[in-house]
Amino acid sequence: MKKTFAAAVLALGSLMGPAIAADYPTQPVRIIHGFGPGGNADTVARMLAEPLTEALGQPFVVEPKPGAGGNVASDFVAHADPDGYTLQLMVGGHSVSGALYQNLSFDAVEDFTFITRITSFPFFIAVRPDTYATIEELIAAGKEGRVKFGSAGVGTTQHLTGELLAKETGAKMLHIPYKGDAGAVTALLGGEVDMIVSAGTSVLSQARSGDLKLLAVSWDRPWPTTPDVPTVGDTVAPGFNVFSWLGLGAPAGLPEEITTVLHDTAVGGLETPELTGKLEALGLLVSPQTPQEFHDMVADQVATWNEVIDSAGIQRR
Amino acid sequence: MTLFDGLSLGFQTALAWHNLLYALIGVLLGQAVGVLPGVGAMTAISLLLPITFYLDPTQSMIMLAGIYYGSQYGGSIASILLSLPGTPSSVVTCFEGHPMAKAGRAGQALMLAALASLFGSIVGVAILVLGAIPLAHLALKFGAAEYFSLIVMGMIGASVVANGAMHRAIAMLAFGILLGMIGTDINTGQYRYVVIPELADGISLVALAIGLFGVAEIMCTPGQSRGGPTTALGRGWRQFLPERAMLGRLLPPATRGAGLGSAFGTLPGTGAAIASFVAYALEKRLSSEPGSFGKGREEGLVAPESANNAAAITGFIPTLTLGIPGDAVMALMLGALIINGIVPGPAVMTDHPTLFWGVIASFVVGNVLLLLINIPLIRLWVRLLSIPYWLLFPSILAFVSVGVYSFRNSVIDVWTALAFGILGAILKRADYPLPPILLGFILGPMLEEYLRRAMLLNDGDITVFFTRPLSAVFMAGSLLLLVLPLFGVLRRRIRGARKPA
Repeated sequence: MKKTFAAAVLALGSLMGPAIAADYPTQPVRIIHGFGPGGNADTVARMLAEPLTEALGQPFVVEPKPGAGGNVASDFVAHADPDGYTLQLMVGGHSVSGALYQNLSFDAVEDFTFITRITSFPFFIAVRPDTYATIEELIAAGKEGRVKFGSAGVGTTQHLTGELLAKETGAKMLHIPYKGDAGAVTALLGGEVDMIVSAGTSVLSQARSGDLKLLAVSWDRPWPTTPDVPTVGDTVAPGFNVFSWLGLGAPAGLPEEITTVLHDTAVGGLETPELTGKLEALGLLVSPQTPQEFHDMVADQVATWNEVIDSAGIQRR
Repeated sequence: MTLFDGLSLGFQTALAWHNLLYALIGVLLGQAVGVLPGVGAMTAISLLLPITFYLDPTQSMIMLAGIYYGSQYGGSIASILLSLPGTPSSVVTCFEGHPMAKAGRAGQALMLAALASLFGSIVGVAILVLGAIPLAHLALKFGAAEYFSLIVMGMIGASVVANGAMHRAIAMLAFGILLGMIGTDINTGQYRYVVIPELADGISLVALAIGLFGVAEIMCTPGQSRGGPTTALGRGWRQFLPERAMLGRLLPPATRGAGLGSAFGTLPGTGAAIASFVAYALEKRLSSEPGSFGKGREEGLVAPESANNAAAITGFIPTLTLGIPGDAVMALMLGALIINGIVPGPAVMTDHPTLFWGVIASFVVGNVLLLLINIPLIRLWVRLLSIPYWLLFPSILAFVSVGVYSFRNSVIDVWTALAFGILGAILKRADYPLPPILLGFILGPMLEEYLRRAMLLNDGDITVFFTRPLSAVFMAGSLLLLVLPLFGVLRRRIRGARKPA
């Protein structure tokens, strides 16, 4: 009898959790993400869980729900209670999903609370060193004939970045999808495709060893460790600025106090030299945003990808 | 640095007591998660990844690698004893290993599997040491056309896996290919037969394998009489050691398996599962009594075990030399290296010789550890079989459910495993072979992927499979595989025709 009573009190307490935000958190918090173990999402979620657990005194547990390019997890989080006990580690693909999928059971912007961006990172345009010396040469070749362009898969940010490059420069590129950046890098090294768009983690080491050449970086400034690789914007497509990101989100309607607590704690943890260094080693720059900035950035990206998908004639799913 | 210097540096590193400790932790943990159906190396490694931030990179790699091949062996234990394949590559281990266990030879099967694993790993390490760089460059020559032709050859070669009527095997292969069609179309991103979002990435391979082989086995068994495993446990572990004559007989299959495993392991993305299927098929082809396969034939256990371990080790070739992960587990380990500030790629060998050679030497050391640990454990494992069914089976089903669920944190996968368990039991009773379903399920989507990519790259020119030299060789091989049995039939006909005369 005593036990039942205690349990009831405990259950009641947890129900009241959101109301008494000052007490947050009083029970373990789940960080959901939509990718397999070992991807950037999983690694970063686990890295972030540590300082959160330490600072807030409750375990932050990482729970992968992989499937459908992250949509299985987003669907789950969008329909969870906004009580602060279900969070999501979001990736740049969240914006792509918002544009690419027609029958989602959630709205990529409206159904979420955006807490903070964690990191951002650009993509690299890479070729074999014996083929093209500059991005201008590659684009010129693209305008003449067909450049075979490899990416991590249909509808990935890498794919859409390549399509946007083609659209902005007028080059013609035949897209060949692979499974993940690793597949595209292998195909490039083996000569099956002429160019790939890939995240830095998969090409930086090969560029250093001279097996690949990086022609350009997709955002508006050079990457810190490769200062001599120009931006696409400065060379062939003025104004070009594409990047991906990782961020912390929750269901829409998360109480503001909880959002603030999570935002401040996460940003505080991220800005320690230790975590910053580890993330940089993964090719990710720490770049927090306020909840409002983060929200606006995602809304902005959904709009951009909608345009690219229409102009490249990619089928929506 | 010469090869010898490298190896001696490697063994010095791997045998240092703290590294040895991490190898031990790795293989123990790996074996534990491997035995639990569904909980693979992937889960264990990703859980441990944050810990590796605090370890030195050599130690973390040794430990992670230990988990990786430890789980391979753990998978074999569950396959042999209970027909529960924890990993796709250990499905093949069920084919002969489980019948051996049913015939009361579980201890022997476990010992053979451990010895074959060790053998395969040593061959894999030798190939890794001698030929990593040339092999990695050869692997890069494999384009879409070559992969397609290789898989065609593998599929034809492995279609003899089934016992009994050919048309039933082909029907099951086709069924497997159809199951593999469910999911996202790789070239357009369109969904195919995705009735619920959880199916967007297809049916879970682990759920399918555990359902078809493990759950179905459980469902079929209570109908049979118990009369099975009565392994005598009196004479200590030596009773499980194979006799010298048997060792001699099993050396050629183990060698062939290791060779095949090494070849498939080097190609990024094909992997251990196909290697073990092909190794099994080859042994059956070469055997003078193919009819005895499926009833506990040692060759059919040893060759695939040796193959999947060799493949697991040569799988490190693209990872270490090109910085391209061969599979998801490798990608995880690359991540661990990067976080520790080491850039994977050709430079690892020269920039971090202690790490490179230490990890390689630890493959051998770890596998020896695995064997030593298991010699006393085999008795314990075998005893599992003496647990009465009413206690054993419900607990296995509970473990299976937890394991399958934890793989993707998805309840759908649990239902999938159960559904395929029921289907598997029905098919088994109706005498339809189950292995071709899995073969079709694994190879079908790969076949489609490479075919369509080759067509996209070559403007739909189908002759490309015959004009690219490597691809042409595989196509010729496939043709030979198809024609050879016909010759056999013809010869028998001719002989038959002569007899009455």
